[in-house]
Amino acid sequence: MFGIPARFTYLMATQAQAKPSALQTTFRRIRARGFFSHTLPFWLLLPALLIIAAIQFYPGFYSIWLSFQDRQGAVWNFVGLRNFERIFNSAAFRESVGHTVVFLVGYVVVTIFASLVIALLLNRTVKLSGVYITLIFIPWVIADVIAGLVFGLLVVPEYGLFSPILSNPTLFPPKGLSITSDPAPRPWIPGFPFPPAPAMYYLILASAWRALPFVTLLILAALKTVPRELIESARIDGASSFQALRLITLPLILPTLVVALFNLTLGGMNGIGLVFTLTRGGPGTATEVLSFLLYTIGFSRLEFGRAAALSVFIAIVNLLLILLTLRVSRLEERVQ
Amino acid sequence: MCSSSSNTRSLTASFATLAALSLLLAACAPAAQPAAPAQPAAPAQPAAPAEPAAPAQVRDFVTWYQYDEKNEDPKSDERVGNEYLRRTIPQFNEAFKDKWRWINQPQPFDKMDTNLVAAVQAGGDVPDLMQAGDGSLIPLLKNGAIQDLTDWIKAQPWFNDLDPSAVTGCTGPDGRIYCVPVAISPFIVFVWKDHFPNGYPKTPEEFKQAAEALKAKNVYAITFFGSTAFDGNGATRFTNMLIQSFGGGFDDGQGKMKLDRPENVAAIQFLREIVAAGYVHPLSWEGTTTPFVEEEPMKTAEAASFPTGIFGYRYVNPLKAPNGKEYKKGNEEDMLDAITAGDIFIAPLFAPEGKKPGCGIGVTGFVIPTGAKNPDAAKDYINWIMTKEQNPDWVLGPGGGFPALRSMLPEIEARKPVAKAFYEQAAAAVAASQCRPWYGSLERRDEAKKIIQTTVYKLVKEDPTADISATLRAAEEEYNRGN
Repeated sequence: MFGIPARFTYLMATQAQAKPSALQTTFRRIRARGFFSHTLPFWLLLPALLIIAAIQFYPGFYSIWLSFQDRQGAVWNFVGLRNFERIFNSAAFRESVGHTVVFLVGYVVVTIFASLVIALLLNRTVKLSGVYITLIFIPWVIADVIAGLVFGLLVVPEYGLFSPILSNPTLFPPKGLSITSDPAPRPWIPGFPFPPAPAMYYLILASAWRALPFVTLLILAALKTVPRELIESARIDGASSFQALRLITLPLILPTLVVALFNLTLGGMNGIGLVFTLTRGGPGTATEVLSFLLYTIGFSRLEFGRAAALSVFIAIVNLLLILLTLRVSRLEERVQ
Repeated sequence: MCSSSSNTRSLTASFATLAALSLLLAACAPAAQPAAPAQPAAPAQPAAPAEPAAPAQVRDFVTWYQYDEKNEDPKSDERVGNEYLRRTIPQFNEAFKDKWRWINQPQPFDKMDTNLVAAVQAGGDVPDLMQAGDGSLIPLLKNGAIQDLTDWIKAQPWFNDLDPSAVTGCTGPDGRIYCVPVAISPFIVFVWKDHFPNGYPKTPEEFKQAAEALKAKNVYAITFFGSTAFDGNGATRFTNMLIQSFGGGFDDGQGKMKLDRPENVAAIQFLREIVAAGYVHPLSWEGTTTPFVEEEPMKTAEAASFPTGIFGYRYVNPLKAPNGKEYKKGNEEDMLDAITAGDIFIAPLFAPEGKKPGCGIGVTGFVIPTGAKNPDAAKDYINWIMTKEQNPDWVLGPGGGFPALRSMLPEIEARKPVAKAFYEQAAAAVAASQCRPWYGSLERRDEAKKIIQTTVYKLVKEDPTADISATLRAAEEEYNRGN
């Protein structure tokens, strides 16, 4: 009933005789060129693939395995989901999720807004714009640890550069402001750490300063692709500068902003250098974000099973963010 | 024929590539598993080119200290330990010149445990001996990083001279001994005499009165490690002293955390009051950004007292007394000199009527890691450190406390007369206190101390109106869920 009619099989047979299929051609080419030369791209990629497997996949799968284990002396014991249960049930985890959300929102918003402003300024024809770009790029080449130490020194109560300003009770009533020790005000929503402690604002500022060059250059590159004629036409039609920015420039650079947003979110979520050197999670636990909690559990308490469980959770969040980035990027391409 | 030859060449090239990659990977593979603890020692490493050639039978004895003998910076926070190693490494090498050559590999004090566990579990090179305290015992034990020393230590001639509390500090939950105690560090209070001319207050009420008088002179009555830095290490220091002074504690004696008890609530209420009244130096809470910054007000006498471990005398220098006299050698002798001169005295913490002052206690000594290549060298070293010639130096230097060997105290005082007043006052303060380890029966000590100190910080600094009892209950429940 579902057989191929005889006349079609005849036609297929004659066509096959007349013209070889793509598969047959490929095999013939393999035979003609030799196995090695045909698979050359694979061999060239192999070292990189092996390195990636060694430093990415192996530790990744090992972490997953570890997240179900608990160390007792010289052996690992399988404990099922107990590590996850203990992590998710801990107040430290819940608090650090809140701190991470506050940090990420602040960090991403401040960085993108500041980068956009700087990129718009640099996009104009100004004298010495190359010098400005070079200067703005400096924070990018400074290591997190150095940036953290320098920012820390600026606000140390006793001798920090900003201490005379911060400790001024007139500016910060009633008794001045200590970035390093003032606790967070009472939260507006119980259980969610907002408004945050001054240290969190400072951490956001330092992190944004570090990320500013990269995002600025990214946005600047996108701005260079916006056709000048479009802006000029809009201005001739009576649009103000702000309207041209809002209705023409921003929509055109939106894909870049989205990429920047997700990049910053991923970087901010996994970064630990600044937290470690600037606040060490304090004062109290005011800046204890997930990555710092992970460090504490793994490398201070040496509880590798629990740390692995937390790292698996963070990896899943990262994966979701990456998938979301890809999805948004594709949507943007379709819209364009 | 030509095609076949080409294929053969291709295959040969492919296999050659694979072989090269395999060799590369093999070269990058981790080192072989460490030798079992009881195995005979591995052959010695070749001598470094710059050093004189050692006899063939001399083997390396590798230690991990938080001190670095090569760091000669007089401003280094660890200058006392650094100097000690610089002095004693040649002595050891001379004493064991035909057997061992001591090589110290300095490690950051807050990374030593992590580095050791990583080395043991990854099968990397581990030291033959590591300096460690009782606080490290459980994490190292849980990760299989240290050897059981019970049989060996009990067979040593000095074992019976060890203070029983020191042995307890080195004993694991299974009753076996895993470290060798050399120094005991009780927690006491260093006090500027001019700020407390009538002695240190005996009760919390007396303390408040004295603090109010000092406040009028712009002097803070107290500074302490109040931050949550180092995973809540403050819980092991003043927090524990205060809680114990009020008759409280952190555990129920059965391995569960027990924070919500009237004594603890009273202690935290008192802490809230003295912070709110402005008697506590603000730097007490700054340690997360600048570690150990709370010591600074004591150095300048801006704060009148500093409760800490007895080892604190090594770090709190140089000193400037309220009367203007300066002690500026920049080493541990500054504090000893100030005590001998009567500018600083040592006291127990205050306690409510009818209670004994609280006094935590810690132990410092050595562990022998799993997989140590030369455990015999470590044992020779420990026996060498336990001699009358060496023990006082170790206790005064890296140990920074009382000797774990009870017979050594007179020896130390004879060796270093300037330490006599210090030890006498410290001994009197300890005798007047109840000294016990902060952790009691708690096993997950690192997690516990973070929970405790974070909770205290929240109740005192973040939300001084929060219900103390309910907050303490929530904290203990969180810990106990992990049991």
